[in-house]
Amino acid sequence: MKKQIEKMVKQPMIIVFIIILIFFTPLAIYSPGENRNRGVVTAIGIDKQDQEYEISLLTFIPTANQSYKEQTSIISGKGGTLAEALYKAQINMGRKVGLAHAKTTVVSKDLLQEDVTNHIDYLSRVASLPENTVFVCSSSSAKKLLEASQGLEQKIGLKLEQLIGFNANIIYVTDTSLEAFYKGYYKRVKSSIIGYLKLKELNGDSQSGGSSKGGEKEQNTANNLIEGGSQSNDIALNDIINEGEAVLLKDGRMVDILSIDELNGINLLNKKALNQIITVNNVELDGEKFDLSYKIKDKKVLINTKFENDIPVFSAQLILGLELVEVKGNHETIVINTEFSKISKDVENALDNQIKKIFTDALKVMRENKTDVLGINEIFFNSNRNSYKKFIEKIEDVDNFIDFVNFKLSLIIQPD
Amino acid sequence: MKEQCINIRQACVLILMCIFTNKILLLPSLMFEEAKADAFFAVIVLFLLDIVVLPIFIKLKTMYPDKRLFEILSKKISPILTKFIYCVFAVYFMFKCLLVFSITYVYFKQQIYQDEIIWLILISGIPVINHAIMSGVRAFSRTIELLKWAVLIGFVSCLAFSLFTDLSMPFFFVSTSGEFFSSIFNHIFSFGDYIFLFVVIDRIEIKKGQEKQLYISSIIGMLLVGMLFFLFYAKYQVTAFMHNNALADILVFSVQFNAIGRLDIIAMLTIMFITLFQLEIYSYAFCDCVLNIFPKLNKIFSIVVFDIIFGILYYVFIGKYEILVGSSQFWSPWLGLFVNYLFPIVCLIIILLARRKKNEKTD
Amino acid sequence: MSFFNVSKKIKEIKTTLNESSDFAYRFYKKDKQIIGLVYLKSIIDQNLLSNAIYFPLQTFEEKLSIKTLKEKIIKCADLKSIKEEDIIKEILDGRVIVITNFSKELISIDLYKFPTRAPTEPPTSPVIQGPREGFVEDMQTNITLLRRRLKTENLVLTTLRVGSQTQTKVVLAYLKGIANKKIVDQVTKKIKEIKIDGIIDSYYVLSFLQNRPNSLFRQIGNTEKPDIATSKLLEGKVAIIVDNSPIVLTVPFILMEDLQNSNDYYTNHHYSSLVRVIRLFGLLIALVAPGAYLAMQIYHYNILPLNFLITIADTTQGLPFTPFLEILFIFLLFQILYEVSLRLPSYLGLATSVVGALILGDTGVKAGLISPPGVIIVALSKIALYTIPEQSSQVTVLQIIFIILGGSLGLVGMIAGFVYLLNYLNTIDSYGTPYLAPYGPRIPQDLKDGIFTKPITQMKERPKSFSPQKKEKT
Repeated sequence: MKKQIEKMVKQPMIIVFIIILIFFTPLAIYSPGENRNRGVVTAIGIDKQDQEYEISLLTFIPTANQSYKEQTSIISGKGGTLAEALYKAQINMGRKVGLAHAKTTVVSKDLLQEDVTNHIDYLSRVASLPENTVFVCSSSSAKKLLEASQGLEQKIGLKLEQLIGFNANIIYVTDTSLEAFYKGYYKRVKSSIIGYLKLKELNGDSQSGGSSKGGEKEQNTANNLIEGGSQSNDIALNDIINEGEAVLLKDGRMVDILSIDELNGINLLNKKALNQIITVNNVELDGEKFDLSYKIKDKKVLINTKFENDIPVFSAQLILGLELVEVKGNHETIVINTEFSKISKDVENALDNQIKKIFTDALKVMRENKTDVLGINEIFFNSNRNSYKKFIEKIEDVDNFIDFVNFKLSLIIQPD
Repeated sequence: MKEQCINIRQACVLILMCIFTNKILLLPSLMFEEAKADAFFAVIVLFLLDIVVLPIFIKLKTMYPDKRLFEILSKKISPILTKFIYCVFAVYFMFKCLLVFSITYVYFKQQIYQDEIIWLILISGIPVINHAIMSGVRAFSRTIELLKWAVLIGFVSCLAFSLFTDLSMPFFFVSTSGEFFSSIFNHIFSFGDYIFLFVVIDRIEIKKGQEKQLYISSIIGMLLVGMLFFLFYAKYQVTAFMHNNALADILVFSVQFNAIGRLDIIAMLTIMFITLFQLEIYSYAFCDCVLNIFPKLNKIFSIVVFDIIFGILYYVFIGKYEILVGSSQFWSPWLGLFVNYLFPIVCLIIILLARRKKNEKTD
Repeated sequence: MSFFNVSKKIKEIKTTLNESSDFAYRFYKKDKQIIGLVYLKSIIDQNLLSNAIYFPLQTFEEKLSIKTLKEKIIKCADLKSIKEEDIIKEILDGRVIVITNFSKELISIDLYKFPTRAPTEPPTSPVIQGPREGFVEDMQTNITLLRRRLKTENLVLTTLRVGSQTQTKVVLAYLKGIANKKIVDQVTKKIKEIKIDGIIDSYYVLSFLQNRPNSLFRQIGNTEKPDIATSKLLEGKVAIIVDNSPIVLTVPFILMEDLQNSNDYYTNHHYSSLVRVIRLFGLLIALVAPGAYLAMQIYHYNILPLNFLITIADTTQGLPFTPFLEILFIFLLFQILYEVSLRLPSYLGLATSVVGALILGDTGVKAGLISPPGVIIVALSKIALYTIPEQSSQVTVLQIIFIILGGSLGLVGMIAGFVYLLNYLNTIDSYGTPYLAPYGPRIPQDLKDGIFTKPITQMKERPKSFSPQKKEKT
């Protein structure tokens, strides 16, 4: 025995291994594993009613099946603070909450009436929540949105984060994550954009409600699919209406809801925003008048900033590659004609006006709300730091800077 | 028994690991709090200060090719003063270990394990470190050499993947010079990466003309760290202070490859390897110092001393890296200043004096 | 004048051999001259005995002398004079001893004949293209196989005897001027120091040659193929051929050798590089896959991609076992099936594979005892193990260690275990060669035959790792 102990002391790694075996392996044998202990949250919804927070968790709870389908349920908890609410939700769930896979965070519109950072402080502190969780605002309560998204997922397999991801890629063309919100919030002019989803209450007898509301506006086809598919469903679920809108936040407070056109205007200067349609009306070609729609294929943006006579001048040169996608007019006279794809002087002027109009509209919204989602302040700060600082001292309020900037937009259309 | 030597290539990878120490997780956001994005320049300044030490090391090595640092110092200064210097070294290396461990611990806790894990990490880290000390600098530097490519590829791919997202120029030159210099001074302790080489000066074989490799690997390491700082600030700009794990966090927003899910597992593995290697290096240096201070001690005893002191210190600072970092504001810069810069100056003086003596003799 | 009393001497020998039943002798008398032949009939070629000795003896008509016996009568190539005390040893080696009453000299004639098998392709290392010969149990044949490939005077063969009872021949083979003298001396010393009653197989010698006999890792190379042995000799290694064993040992040994396969040298080097990378990945997967899967289930659900997490969570829901026990259970199942399929005769092998695949795997999943991902992970690691069959025994042990580490400490524990493993391997050296060479430490000259191989035309130097005396191959 003594000899054996001596032998073992000579090989300390064996002792370590035995310690692991004795102290930790029973733990491992006993432990059912985190994946069985936790309810994996895929989306978080936050509401506030009468000084009480309600947190709703779209949770994946594993069930023994072989179909490998995500079976989700919504579990909610209420409390004076978010942490408390989450704790209650955890109790309701009967499992530990696993936030690591939460891809979406939904807040209700009401929460955005005051500085939202006060409400979501917990989210910025909890380490397990990934910072790239998408931050979305819902027109009614967040819980209802989650319920609706659950229905969406069950019926056509479209997940909330996919819907939002589509928006983020195609419409906002920026990150709409929690982190991006904070990034905007800590900028000079505290402004940021987050996604906005509308909810429509569905009555049992309503038919194809989505399209009636949507009208001419761009709409996600998913909603129509739902209604077409399942009339037999007893529970009338709310319907998510995606109009590509976004919430404009200033100081973490909602100031406006941007329509898709305004968003497009803001994104004019965004190199990544492609595939948008620009329509010019009543252009004269060969004596006839047509409406022409162009798709932006390619975009280059050259930005130059300077101070002219102590007035900040922001000149941007847009170099666009355009593709004609639609010609509207008297079809008897239209022949499929290569002439259309050539952009004549008239069309160019019309396009120039149209683009300037779109940009002016967007700028108007920004000026009205004293927001700077384009980061004009940062651009001036980086390029003309001293003049910018002097100018800010002069106008005293950094929020007003954008009002004084002289914007010059010029358009160059790239030949094919 | 004289330990077996390492070759120049292994010395290079050791330098690389030392350069990564404490700089790739918490430091970028800590320095951002003081100097904003100008911390990037602060790091460059600190690196420049560091790299000046390398020629001193090489000169010392060529002058005394086979002598231990302890012998050189006790011959040139005085044995008692040398013991004092070694005591300071021991404290220095111990705290480096502790800092590495606690920063990584926080990262592990936030990102990898969800619950209390202190014992899990201690039990998995410490025995490996002890075994590495026991088997000597050659064994573990061979391991690092073997996994060098894994670590480097991991690091570089973290940097590369971060390029897939929106990056914009960080706002430079926004901090005052006071903020700038205080950020340099406060984080001096995280630098000084060549001191380890001095401790193992007798165990490195440098053939003539190989010194260049040391410079090359240092520059590669510094470039990587510098790029990490730059990309981190470029990515987060104003919110950089909210992100404590730079190397992992620059990956969070990168393109999500569909089924692979989270890419930061690359960063995770890289950090785990790097941390273990750094702990091996600094704990080895600590034990070496202890053995020099108490020459009668056995190697095993020095390891036991390390484990006990490390355990106690860790218990004091258990998981409270803010306390460690915060309290260290008072003393760690001074310790860093003493070891990182004052000690090389002492070495420089030794070299100059020896050279003058030689010149006098030849005259 | 007589030197030996032949019949008395034969009787003596018989007693020494405990009157063994296969002991045989024969007298031949001519006038007063008596010749006695002594041998063990079980191990000599009796045909040859009558043709080469009896027949010439009977037809010889002149006076007999030891000189005529040696030069004219006995028609045998291997013939030597021996001392009296060596008689027993010689008989046991399959020799016929000639005792005469007219000379003090004893003649020993080599007539040994053991049952041997033909040098067929060894089952452990088949090749697609390349030589198919393999070593056999008979040492003479093995030496022949080597000699045939190395027609050089520099091939040195030194015979040593090991085992107090078995007196097994152990032959050291190396190329003079190429193999490092220090290594040869070291090996010779170690073999001479072996104290054991019997050497049954070369593995017995291997155990004595290892610097760290307790270690999990084999530090001596082995091969069953003469072409591999030849190439290793050319690299400056020392081969140890043990009688009665078809496995030839080579020292020094590095881990990289197990990643190499004789096929690699007989195909395109681009392909063999690819295959080696795959082998390395196979080794890695075999080592860590079950442990990592376990660690992710128990500790790191957040690292798993959501879709995969859903699959795992759904399938493991409702299992009676915890993840750790589940993996251990599947692991055990596989290991049992493997052992059974090894031992069972081949006609029963089909039955076990059916039982294994269908009943245990499929039904186990359907019955809710084990989960499909668990089966896949363990099966994957078990299959990946055989990308390097030489390491399978070590890696199986390591698999269990990594399962325990992953299950109880999570990913950090596994990484720590991995780093420890490498540290440990770096402390091993096999006769002066670092075990992980040419990667730890990196030896640039030897990388040509590393994971990424170069064509043979570019391998102009012998590997530096084995410190050969002569570097250049030409």
